Order: sequence, then structure tokens, then C-alpha cells
Amino acid sequence: MDNIKLIINFLGQLLPAINITLIVSLSSIILGSLLGLLLAAAKMSESVVLRVLARVYVSVIRATPSIIMIFVVYYGMPMLFNNWFHTNIDGWNRMYFVIIALTVLFSAPASELFRSAHESISKGQMEAGLMVGMTPFQTFYRIILPQAFVVALPNFANSVVNLLKEGALTFTIGVVDMVAKAQMIVANNSGGYAWQTYCALALIYWVISLAVDKGVSLVEKSYQAKRKTIAV
Amino acid sequence: MSLNTDFMVKVAQTAIQGVPVTLQIVLVALLISLPIGVLFALIRIYRIKGLELIVKFYVSLVRGTPIIAQILIVYSAFPSLLNMMIGKAAFSINPIYYAYIVFTLNSIATLTEVFRSALQTVDKGQMEAGLMVGMQPRQAFWRIILPQALISALPNIANATLYLIKNSSLAFIMSVKDITAIAKTEAAFNYNFLEAYLVVWVYYLIICYGAEIIFNLLERYFSKYRRSAKRTTGFNWNPFSIKQPKLVVKTDLAESERTNNAHN
Repeated sequence: MDNIKLIINFLGQLLPAINITLIVSLSSIILGSLLGLLLAAAKMSESVVLRVLARVYVSVIRATPSIIMIFVVYYGMPMLFNNWFHTNIDGWNRMYFVIIALTVLFSAPASELFRSAHESISKGQMEAGLMVGMTPFQTFYRIILPQAFVVALPNFANSVVNLLKEGALTFTIGVVDMVAKAQMIVANNSGGYAWQTYCALALIYWVISLAVDKGVSLVEKSYQAKRKTIAV
Repeated sequence: MSLNTDFMVKVAQTAIQGVPVTLQIVLVALLISLPIGVLFALIRIYRIKGLELIVKFYVSLVRGTPIIAQILIVYSAFPSLLNMMIGKAAFSINPIYYAYIVFTLNSIATLTEVFRSALQTVDKGQMEAGLMVGMQPRQAFWRIILPQALISALPNIANATLYLIKNSSLAFIMSVKDITAIAKTEAAFNYNFLEAYLVVWVYYLIICYGAEIIFNLLERYFSKYRRSAKRTTGFNWNPFSIKQPKLVVKTDLAESERTNNAHN
């Protein structure tokens, strides 16, 4: 009983730091999705060079541990900027480095799932759209995209939850997010109540990922209801 | 770029001692969690009451929380727990055992999901066919269902392994001396973090690609057991090796004979 009380107490102390986690994950989801779209376009393009580059990029990112990515971006980017653009970015907010690293990490699975969703829509849909006189862009926007969106949704939710979990590594470069906050609390208690604190931390993450799952399945259901089939 | 290449070579030489540690963690976690994952998947598929709920809860909890939180919980809870059971000796345990525990618990959850979807891809008719020819349900499962499920699970097991290898880079938080930890301590001497992490990155790339190649080879090896209906279109060597009974169709003849007989 005491433990539960402690965990609830720690929950209250950790929750204010959720902002950082949400900002970092949301911005890297948006940026990563955009980069993923570009990559998916590169993968399906006519040019061999683009396709090979996109494939190499995705396979390298797939084999990179997230913490190494974060460290390499954090230590490498200032050096790169210094040498190439002669600008000093050491003073940047450290959150930007995490966002960049997570964007790069998220773009690989995002590109994969966009591509597979696009390929799952039959070619006849595009042809039918072009037949009735729509421009290719219109056809993509009005016919392909809504269908591909529904197909991509479950996998997208999966990747988002994965990103959220990788985002928990933000603390390694000194951003005060929930994990850092939990470690501070433990340090303040001089190592006491450690597992209760971390349980509270895990609980917050669990609730967020359950909420993502639930939300996505609700959206999916509403789309499924709208979907009309030819069969009467 | 002004990378300190001498230092990179030095880190590469020292960090290689961490490679066996990483591989050890991955292998132990995989070997323990594979059978348990199958078991949990079966519990979920056959909806064993009580247990099903526990497994569901466990999988959702582990998949919903970051591995760093799991590491912190295990690393803070287990030593004091063991302290109560075996006394002071608990604090002198090699931290790699905690790494085994965390990564095993973590990959059990991922593999449970993998096996659950793989077992569901096996057609129910396969089980029925097995029972038809007089196998026990257990025999049918071991000889017919499981091999097929394992083969279709291979790509996902490869994914889970990759995920495990990548996550094992966090073992340094438990003060396990793996690749990342060694590189980190090397780098801390004169602030050459970038060089050290680039070397570590290359090591992880090599390990991950190695694992991928092994799984690809396994897939190719096992794909020969996977016979699709299309394969029969090629030249069929079977008739030369197996003597098949000659089936002579004599319906026309029989009918004419019968009519002949009738005439007679």
C-alpha cells in the first residue's frame, strides 16, 4: 500500500516534465514523416541512383542503435557546422539535437510504411482517376492518399510508439525530460525509493502508448465504416 | 573535418573486447526467450483462462514502456530484492546478469507477438489433416504446425534480433562493459566522443548486418521446405525416383465392353 502511495506521489512529480517528451516526439514525428515521404518518393523513383541511395540510407538507419544516433548527432553536428559553414551551434538548445536524431531515426520506418501503403493500393485506382480526367496530383490526393492512409495507420501507430520509447533516451545528452527528472528524484532521495520512481515513469509511458494505440484503432474503425465495397 | 584517426584506431582496438559481451547478451536473451515466447503465444492463441490475461498484460506493459525504464527498474529493484534473499552477496553479482534479465524479459514480449501472428498464419486445415492421419494433437503440433510457423516467423525473428542488438547498446547504464561502455570510457579521457561513437556505430552496423546475413541464409535454407503450388510447373524429377502405381484409365473401354456385353 505504501508503495502505491509513493508511486502516485512520484507520478505527480514527474508529470510536469512530460512537455519535453511530447514536444520532442511530436516534432520528430512530423519532420520524420516528411523526410520519410521524400525517401519513399526516392525509393519509387525512376532514377537508379536515388533508389540505391534511399535503400542504403534506410538499411543503415535500421541497423543503428538509437543512442549511438543521438550521440553522433550531438557531438558530430557542431563539428560539421564549424568546419563547413563556419557557424557555431554549440549554444543550440540540446533538444534540437535530439529532434534531429529522432527525425533521422523515424524517417526510415516511415518511408518503408509509406511505400508499402502506396503499393498496396491497386494501380487501377490511379488509372481510373486519370481516366475521368483528373490530373495525376488530384488523383493521388483524392483517391490514392485516403486509401493508403487507412492501410498505413496501424504500422504508423507502431512506429510512433517505438519513437516515443526511443525518445526516452533524450536524457543521455542532458535534456531534462521525464527520465532525467526521475533520476534527479532518486538522487535527491539519495538512492532511495528508486524502483517506485522508475515504476511511475514506466506507467506514464505505458499510458501514453496505450492512448496512441486506442486512438489509432478508433480512427481506423471510423474509416472502415466509411469504406464502401462494390459488393451489395 | 578534423577527426583524430589515431584515437579511432585505438578505440577500435579496445572496443573490440566489448563485442563478445554484446553478442553474449543477445544470444542468451534470444535463446531463453524463444521457447518462452512460443509458450506465451500458445497461451494467447488457445485462450487459457487466467494465464491469457497475465500474458496480455505483460506484453502490453513491456511493449508500451521504453527499455530504459525497464533497465532502471530491474537495476534498482533486483539488487535489493536479492539482498533480502541471499544477503550481501547480491551486490557483488556481475551486472551482466541483470542485462540478461532485462533483455530476456523484453524480447519475450516481442517474440510472443511474433509467434502469435506466425501461428495464426498456419491454416487450421493443417492441424485437422494431421489429426486425420491419426497423429496425436501434440504430435501434429510439433511435426506440422510448429515448423511451418517457425519458417513464417523467421523474418520477424530477424527483426526482433536486430531490435535486441540495438537495444543491448543501453547495457552500459547497468555498468556492463559492452562496446558502448568501453568506447565511452576511452572517449572520456580527452573528450573525443565523436570519434569513439563513430567507431561504435561501425561495430553495430557490422554486427547487425552479420545477423541479417545469417537470417537471410536461414530463410533461404528453410525455403526449400516451403512448397508452393506453383513449383510443380517446373520439370518434375519425382517420377524418376519414386515408382508410382500405374493408373490406367479404362472407362471408355469398360463402357464399350459393358455395352458389348449387353448386346450379347
